[in-house]
Amino acid sequence: MDRYLQFAVIRFKSKTAYRFDYFLGILNSLLSFVVYYSIYKALYGDAQSIDGVSFSMVTTSFLISLGLSSAFHKNEMFLQDKIKQGTIANELLKPVNFKLRMLFEDAGEGAFNVVFNFLPTALIAAFFASISAPSGAVNMLLCIASVILGYIVLWQISFIVQCLSFRLFSVWGLVTIKNVVINILAGAYIPMWFMPEKIRSILRFTPFESIYFMPVQLYLGQLGQWEILFGFLRQIAWIGGLYIIGELCWRSGIKRLVIQGG
Amino acid sequence: METMISVEDLSKTFKIQRRSTGFAGAVKNIFHPTYEYKKAVDGISFSIKEGEMVGFIGPNGAGKSTTVKMLSGILHPDGGSINVAGYIPHKQRKEYVANIGVVFGQKSQISWDLSPLDSYEVIKHIYRIPEKLYKDNLERYTELLDMKDFIDRPVRQLSLGQRMRADIAAALLHSPKIVFFDEPTIGIDVVGKDKIRKFIKTLNETDNITMIFTTHDMQDIEQTCQRLIIIDDGKKLYDGSLENVKTDCVSTRIIEAEVENMPSGLDIENTQITHDESTGKLTVMFDTDKISTSDVMTALMSTHSIKDISIKEPGIDSVIRDIYEGRIKVG
Amino acid sequence: MKDILSLFFAYARSGLKSRFQYKVDAVVVIFAVFFREAGGIIAMYLALQKFGSINGWSIDELLFLFSLIFITYGIFIVFFMALRDFSDWIKHGDFDRVLLRPRGVLTQLVLCGADWLAAFGHGTLGLVLLIISANRVGVEWNVQTVLYYLMCVIGGVLIQGAVFLTFSSITFYVLETNSLKEIFYWNMRKFAIYPLSIYNKFIQAILIFVVPFAFVNYFPAQFFLQKPDMAAYPAWFMFITPIVGIVLYLAAYAFWRFSLRFYKSTGN
Repeated sequence: MDRYLQFAVIRFKSKTAYRFDYFLGILNSLLSFVVYYSIYKALYGDAQSIDGVSFSMVTTSFLISLGLSSAFHKNEMFLQDKIKQGTIANELLKPVNFKLRMLFEDAGEGAFNVVFNFLPTALIAAFFASISAPSGAVNMLLCIASVILGYIVLWQISFIVQCLSFRLFSVWGLVTIKNVVINILAGAYIPMWFMPEKIRSILRFTPFESIYFMPVQLYLGQLGQWEILFGFLRQIAWIGGLYIIGELCWRSGIKRLVIQGG
Repeated sequence: METMISVEDLSKTFKIQRRSTGFAGAVKNIFHPTYEYKKAVDGISFSIKEGEMVGFIGPNGAGKSTTVKMLSGILHPDGGSINVAGYIPHKQRKEYVANIGVVFGQKSQISWDLSPLDSYEVIKHIYRIPEKLYKDNLERYTELLDMKDFIDRPVRQLSLGQRMRADIAAALLHSPKIVFFDEPTIGIDVVGKDKIRKFIKTLNETDNITMIFTTHDMQDIEQTCQRLIIIDDGKKLYDGSLENVKTDCVSTRIIEAEVENMPSGLDIENTQITHDESTGKLTVMFDTDKISTSDVMTALMSTHSIKDISIKEPGIDSVIRDIYEGRIKVG
Repeated sequence: MKDILSLFFAYARSGLKSRFQYKVDAVVVIFAVFFREAGGIIAMYLALQKFGSINGWSIDELLFLFSLIFITYGIFIVFFMALRDFSDWIKHGDFDRVLLRPRGVLTQLVLCGADWLAAFGHGTLGLVLLIISANRVGVEWNVQTVLYYLMCVIGGVLIQGAVFLTFSSITFYVLETNSLKEIFYWNMRKFAIYPLSIYNKFIQAILIFVVPFAFVNYFPAQFFLQKPDMAAYPAWFMFITPIVGIVLYLAAYAFWRFSLRFYKSTGN
């Protein structure tokens, strides 16, 4: 385990080398927030709350989504680059689990993004936008747990798409399309409260709702015990299912590599 | 023969920002940068006649590339003057570059995903090459560079040597009067290098094209160029024929002798002597400025009975190395 | 002119041919660009199902506003792609080759750089949005309006071209301009997609006077839609997009000509 944590730590450290990029990253996040803030301020107009959702809940939801998208870092061209450069064979010879190593490198970068990009952004945003306070310590812990589960779901979907690089010339297009679909369905672009009811009733069974929206609801203290339990069980079931699919894709890819030569 | 290239007292200085490290340094770099100046080319003069083929050599960072870039109009010189084929390259860039071809060994001008033929079509339009000339040149270079097998295959499938040949043809399609080759054989295998050298030599002889050739590979120079210019630290160290670089610059000689008897304690003044016990071979190295060859021979023969003897000059490679490293002074 | 066109087509042929070496991939990339850009629009569409309008703009009016950004950007990357990525051209030594060819430097850069796949993605999205929205928002097409629309598209392309021509010129002095582009183009573009009037005064001022994206889509759209929020700006802003485009581009061009001589070819 130590060894995998090292991958995360190295990524974390290497990110601190470029300072100007770092400040720029905060500015980028902040401006993205300002865009959404301005849009929803205009949509709300003078209204205090719409469908029981107050404006500060919306801004809080966007801020959390922003934090999550920076935490959910994935280097989605990693596998393709290794295959293209033909270094995948060497990587596989190393005595580490390739998949775990990828996960921890990404997680390291995600952790960096949260601490050094999201937290400063959130502090600045709290100056001009009204942000709701967390609804309690237990909910906060549950929120963090659901973020971790959500990350594992997202990461596995990304891994499955990346495994297509064993077969395709480039996966950039598919990765991009996948991200658009997830961002819309998971409520990264639009708070789930305002999603048309028909779409929402379908989404209830997908893992998407609990990736961005469940942490928001937990943070705001909007969920009852049974909803929380259902949400967590749903995530765990999806993690199991995606793990099996991911393993199958990975193994068939490796087989192909062995047969055709790297 | 007419003068094609004339360069007088050429110089170019680069301003390099000295980077401070750390956060305070990063801020300082932005608001109060400090610079140092490096003279990449420092007062070089030479002239090259039409149809001549000249090798430019020098260690990395000597100023070869900067000189070639000024000659081809990419860089503006800081001082001195350049005149190539009646043009001032950096001032009349557009008109001038129609007359030259440039081959960069490290930087291909044909597209990775296309065939050489596809790239040639674009080059035809860029240079406004008349259809007839284009066809004739294409046919000729395909033949001479032996490109028939791969001219319509995507470049990514070609070997480095094939790609280089395709690149050389690309630089020649518009029938330039002057061609610059910047390390055209870098990374290529022996057979590939040989094909390229032969082609360049043929072209120089038959078309009377003026050529400048920079390289690190002395074989390139030995097999193609009559004249050599050595540059180091932005200054011209040597300018003359290839043979003369040895006789002019080097006074070291080596005598190798096979001897029957080997008396101990042999010592001739101003020489270094080594003896190989197993083969009985005797090697004597000396400097002709200090002792003449005949004196060494006489000394040797007075003490030994000699079966076989030969006098050697050091190889061109080691001569050049000695010049770079300052062991041999030329001027 | 004929000569320039034939050169453009020669570049276009070879550019398309190399991108379509992998046909399936090329089509997927076009779709991907299309969907990536459409994502924000879909979210806006869903949100307006609930809210009805934003600052008085209906969804159809917003689509008309969006269409101008995407159409101009689609054309922009046909002609200004090389300037968009100019610091890479310099870093990789590709600019040396441009200087070695007997054509105008900017001519070559403008004609040769096209990213056709992205251009198809953005351009198609823009056209789809225009076709969906134009009728519904009641745009009356006649000679005058068609002509003005075209001039605004050209103006919008030139405005964005001028921004990148300026960045490219700065590249001759500082080499690395990615951060500048990020701040002054990509972030500003995020704002520019939506109606100018939803932002605070400071952001509005930047979008009008510093990086004048407001003239790429907001003011031209107002010419056709005449929304009440236009009252906050001088009415003549609706008519000057082509002029803003030409003036900015000429200014950027002068700066480019001046800066070219400072080019330092990177060594090996």
